[in-house]
Amino acid sequence: MAGITTHVLDNETGMPGAGMRIDFSVFENGAYRHVKTVETNAEGRTDDMILSPEETKVGQYELLFHVAEYYAGKGRQLPDPPFIEDVPVRFSVFDASQHYHVPMLCTPWTCTTYRGS
Amino acid sequence: MSILNIDRRKVIVGLIIGAASIRSLLEGTGFVSTAAAQEAAGGGRLTLHAIDTYSGQTRPDLRIDLSIMENGAFRLLKTVSTVQGGRTEAPVLEADELQVGRYELLLHLDEYFEGFGADLPEPPFLGKVPIRFGVFDAGQRFHVPILFNPWNYSYYRGS
Repeated sequence: MAGITTHVLDNETGMPGAGMRIDFSVFENGAYRHVKTVETNAEGRTDDMILSPEETKVGQYELLFHVAEYYAGKGRQLPDPPFIEDVPVRFSVFDASQHYHVPMLCTPWTCTTYRGS
Repeated sequence: MSILNIDRRKVIVGLIIGAASIRSLLEGTGFVSTAAAQEAAGGGRLTLHAIDTYSGQTRPDLRIDLSIMENGAFRLLKTVSTVQGGRTEAPVLEADELQVGRYELLLHLDEYFEGFGADLPEPPFLGKVPIRFGVFDAGQRFHVPILFNPWNYSYYRGS
């Protein structure tokens, strides 16, 4: 399988990060152009792939994870401004025939991303 | 590439274990620790530690641009470079330089890894990596460790 997918894991609770808003953008002509906004489901994944294999081209992409909004929505008390707020993850697709799984592991004080599978 | 893939898996497992440890360390801490309260009188500061988990050692010469959010856009404050040990020669921001706000450390990972001939795809999976965080109390110390390699990165509020 090719294409782009993500998975949000809430490392504070050890649960999937459900209901997190994510903005997906593509780098074009020197700037990131917003393509779509998605929200994670109960499993912390998105119902549809961020980008299907057919849509995925070699290039640079950004997933902007609205982490502070997610925690605020759960009634978590955060400082102002929060330490971790909107987290951009910028990555390249260098071979469109490969799958790019880009998870976000977060707490209000940490975040981690990697190329998964 | 096969060696790189093995490393990647090891690093991911390490990061997951690390994230759990960090979480346990952070649990129960408030926004203002006792140490932070003691520092308040002397002013805050921003420091970083860039740890290269690809090389397994802290190399110098990672270029990092520090910006602050102003009127909806990031404005470049300064460019720093890591020295041997993965830190910067002086605190990134000290005393009055540190203000409440939203900051970005832009890591030039692409040129860093090219600098010593790491085996990377073209374009590399991670090129220019933005590390964003908020400073909510200019009297506290904000230490931002960043663990990175060509396939992942992690950062947190350290001490």
